[in-house]
Amino acid sequence: MGKGSSNIGLAKAKAKSTAQAATVFLLPALILIAVFIVYPVIDTFLISGFKWNGISADRIYIGLDNWNSLIHDEMFWKSFTHNLIVMVFSILLQIPIGMLLATFLDAGGRKFNIFKIIWFLPYLMSSVAIAFLFVYALATNGGLVSSLATIIQGKRTTVDLLGTAPNALYTVIGVMAWQFTPFYMVYFIAGYGNIDTTIYEAAIIDGATRGQYIRHIAIPLLGPIFKTACTMSLIGSLKYFDMIWNMTQGGPAGTTELMATYMYKLSFQQFNMGYGSTVAAGMFILITAIALLFNRVFKVTEDY
Amino acid sequence: MREKTIQDDYRASKIKSRIAWTIAIIFAVVWLVLTLTPFFFMIMNSFRKQFDMLQQGVFHLPDPWYFQNYVEVVTHGFFGYFLRSVIVVAISLVLMLVISAFAAYPLARMKFKLNVFIYATIVAMMSVPMHVTLIPIFKLTTAVGLYDKLWSLIGPYVAFALPMSVFILTAFMKTIPKEIEESAEIDGCNRFQNFFKMILPLSKSGLSTLAIYNGVSMWNEFAFANTFLLSPENKTLPLALGQFKGEHSLNIPINMAVLTLSVLPMIILFIVFQDKLVKGMMAGAVKG
Amino acid sequence: MRNKIMAVLFASVLSVTTLAGCGSQPTAPAGGASDTGAAQTAQTDTAKADATTADAPAASAGKQTDGKNLPELTTEPMTITLWDISTEDPNKSISEGAVARFMADYPNITINQVHQQNDNYKQQLVVAMSSGQCPNIYCHWGGGPMAEYYKSGFANDITDMYAKYDHPEFVDAAVAQSTYDGKMLAIPFSGLTGCDIFYNKTIFAQLGIEVPTTIDELEAVCEKLKENGIIPFSLANASKWTGSMYYMYLVARHSGNAEFDAAYTQENGGSFTSPAFIYAGTKIQDWVKKGYFPDGVNSLSADDNQDRALLYDGSAAMMLHGSWQVGGIKADNEEWYNENIGVFRFPEDTEAKAAGVPQNVEIGTAIGMGLTFNCFKEDGSVDQDMLDACYVLATQYFNDDTYNAAQVAAGTVPSIKGFNENIEDPNNKYIIDEFFKASNVQLWYDQYLPASVTEVHKNCMTELFGLEKTPEEIGQEQDAAMQKALAE
Repeated sequence: MGKGSSNIGLAKAKAKSTAQAATVFLLPALILIAVFIVYPVIDTFLISGFKWNGISADRIYIGLDNWNSLIHDEMFWKSFTHNLIVMVFSILLQIPIGMLLATFLDAGGRKFNIFKIIWFLPYLMSSVAIAFLFVYALATNGGLVSSLATIIQGKRTTVDLLGTAPNALYTVIGVMAWQFTPFYMVYFIAGYGNIDTTIYEAAIIDGATRGQYIRHIAIPLLGPIFKTACTMSLIGSLKYFDMIWNMTQGGPAGTTELMATYMYKLSFQQFNMGYGSTVAAGMFILITAIALLFNRVFKVTEDY
Repeated sequence: MREKTIQDDYRASKIKSRIAWTIAIIFAVVWLVLTLTPFFFMIMNSFRKQFDMLQQGVFHLPDPWYFQNYVEVVTHGFFGYFLRSVIVVAISLVLMLVISAFAAYPLARMKFKLNVFIYATIVAMMSVPMHVTLIPIFKLTTAVGLYDKLWSLIGPYVAFALPMSVFILTAFMKTIPKEIEESAEIDGCNRFQNFFKMILPLSKSGLSTLAIYNGVSMWNEFAFANTFLLSPENKTLPLALGQFKGEHSLNIPINMAVLTLSVLPMIILFIVFQDKLVKGMMAGAVKG
Repeated sequence: MRNKIMAVLFASVLSVTTLAGCGSQPTAPAGGASDTGAAQTAQTDTAKADATTADAPAASAGKQTDGKNLPELTTEPMTITLWDISTEDPNKSISEGAVARFMADYPNITINQVHQQNDNYKQQLVVAMSSGQCPNIYCHWGGGPMAEYYKSGFANDITDMYAKYDHPEFVDAAVAQSTYDGKMLAIPFSGLTGCDIFYNKTIFAQLGIEVPTTIDELEAVCEKLKENGIIPFSLANASKWTGSMYYMYLVARHSGNAEFDAAYTQENGGSFTSPAFIYAGTKIQDWVKKGYFPDGVNSLSADDNQDRALLYDGSAAMMLHGSWQVGGIKADNEEWYNENIGVFRFPEDTEAKAAGVPQNVEIGTAIGMGLTFNCFKEDGSVDQDMLDACYVLATQYFNDDTYNAAQVAAGTVPSIKGFNENIEDPNNKYIIDEFFKASNVQLWYDQYLPASVTEVHKNCMTELFGLEKTPEEIGQEQDAAMQKALAE
């Protein structure tokens, strides 16, 4: 396109080349996502229309019957409520603590590196391993907490954190916080690192202390990062599976049952793949809806 | 308005900051203890016999110290598992970082028709629970003859890390000032040069966060590995844990030894890696 | 310059990935698909590598199946995939030994033996079956899932073969547990498991306690232990089936098998709220209130041996558990085991006995696990050649003398008649003797009930021991689940 082209032509050409470039950049990701995620999701939605035990060649098409049962399924909505509780507490615990730790490290600089390394350790463990460790550490017999209570009380004392109804869910939430807070810590450290240093210098020249800089300037600047972190924590806690599965299997008596563990039990243990897929599809719809809602609300408050 | 606040604060700041630091240090130490206790528990128990562990209770130091667990683990093919995990994670991670950076770039910084739609679709994929995809992906894997091959894990690992990575990187790239790109464009860079010269280096801290985040989850991934890999000589490290379990009972100290050994390389890597991360950020600070 | 190199590098990586991405789409021709899978698995011959552990028969002696009434096996090359969960010795070398002996006798047949991990085994099977990768032989625990495998076409009916050809004389209960709807579907291979009360002999001796024979006596023992600051029963009920054993035994002592069988069909007034179930539930809650079980019973996990830990440190004196505990405790510390561990059967219900209810129903399993065959051709007809080979392998190499001797040495009693004779471990001997004296062996509810009811039953056990629901309430819940399962 020479200099003689009109502005409109130029804009069009630019848009076209933008589209081409965007396609090239996006293609590998889109192909992989289509093959490994979109296709299985479509498959899940299709299976949700069948009565199927998961292994038989016979699938009986039952239309929306599974969906109808899902809407009236007490256990599913109970699991969903547990997921919501886990979600709220995850966001309230993991992100503020992660932020605090990151702020501490940012303010302290290099001399606090050892804190950073140790604080990060839990995130390096697999969920399976963490479940395994905590079942032991929280055991009423010889576990850390109960042994500690025994020492403090001076007589045999048991603190039953995983075996009774209201405790179990909050214990699991605590363990999740233990596991994931370090990730948000690193995330916020990276966020702090991305703030233009001229802003910091200007603030110092203006006579601000490091603490004032963090409070009045850095934290507000972390806004978008904060929102991303919340979204991640939200989605993560709504589809959480591994650690709960290995720690309580949804027990005691279904009080830590989450949508994912419910789905897994139906699909792989109770020979009810058709309905299990319906639960999975329902989960997908709910999580996406909540994430969208969250983003919308968040955007509104951000812009006043 | 704000200047006044800052000056007010400045007067009281010396006392205030001392109090703040004391509270902060106390909090830091408490969190430190919370973090370390389970690790201490894990390492101590890896040096005991099962019977001693069950009989002695948690606060007892190993008596006697028992090293056979580690010998057992190492002589039962630990390094094979380890090596295979390294290979899978390294390849998947590099691919994932490149592909997600590629995808995030146009989403963060280009205007085109389907931008919002594609972004929303990718982000929506974050909410797919992984276990739902086991059977369809397993069918695919057997159909292309990758069943029981180490390579079968790379596709799912990369794909499942993508939505969140694209999501984070897009957020990161959006924070890069527009002027940088515009100035580059005036210098005659095309979009690809732009990406490699400007955007990619500036996303470094975002990329390192992602490398840590996804590296760890790939390193620890169990469900896909357990389904796709059949023979012991193809299995990855998270599956090694089960190889030491019995039919009805399990030997906990041996498992603790496996856990300790499998988390150790991650810790070492993190220590090395995070130092670089900090340096990178500091270098940026000096330049800025 | 450096950036250019980087760009080229990234671009080439990208193109490779893109290709790989396309390649992994399902473009393979339909016919070749399953062949590829078979070829893959054939390479992973774990059995061969460990053949040294086998007691190979003398080469000149011919096959160990010679002279027996068995199907003639093919001389064509054949590959059979076998899944078991013997990841750990001694089971690992015992089962590999059987496979190695078979392959030595039939060199044209390759057994591709895969040891899966117990934890995720059921899921592995579901995934494999749904994707056309079901192994030709697989192990399972019988009960509801076995029925499901058969109904879905992944289990050969071997009733006729079992009647026609030689096989070990399995005990009747084992045959019964391998049968569904009148069809023999599995060959037992992992031995009997009885379920009795292990107790600490030393503590009993110190306190002058006699082994109880009635439930009343048992309660007196519990009181005495409580007085001395010892927890009567070590129970880790996070696993749920552990608590279920108490429930099952109390039901069985109160009503034999009658009420459970009726509740299972829900016919003729059968219900989980019938007297025996209410009796069992009430008794358990009474015991919980009296402190016969450890505090926090629902958070202790048997998978992590936390019940055993309570025995080891002397804080509990008794434990109702499966006979595999003998091997487990021995492996942890044989000396301690010999000194301290004894066993007695679940005591009798005097009133029920007076009313004529049999007191010798035992909880346990007569097959432990069974091997089921999945030998079908692509058109769905039975692959008789392969089925013959599987049958010979499972009946003549698994379950042969070498195999059984190794099982006995490892503390397992094969489900074959006559093996209750020469058991050395006194506790094991006691358990097996009780097992053979049983009028009926009731499989664990959580394996016997349909899968959807199992989940409800397990949750009910948590609620029962946690005093969260009454015996009536859990009975109603189990009834509802059972009726729903029967309706499907």
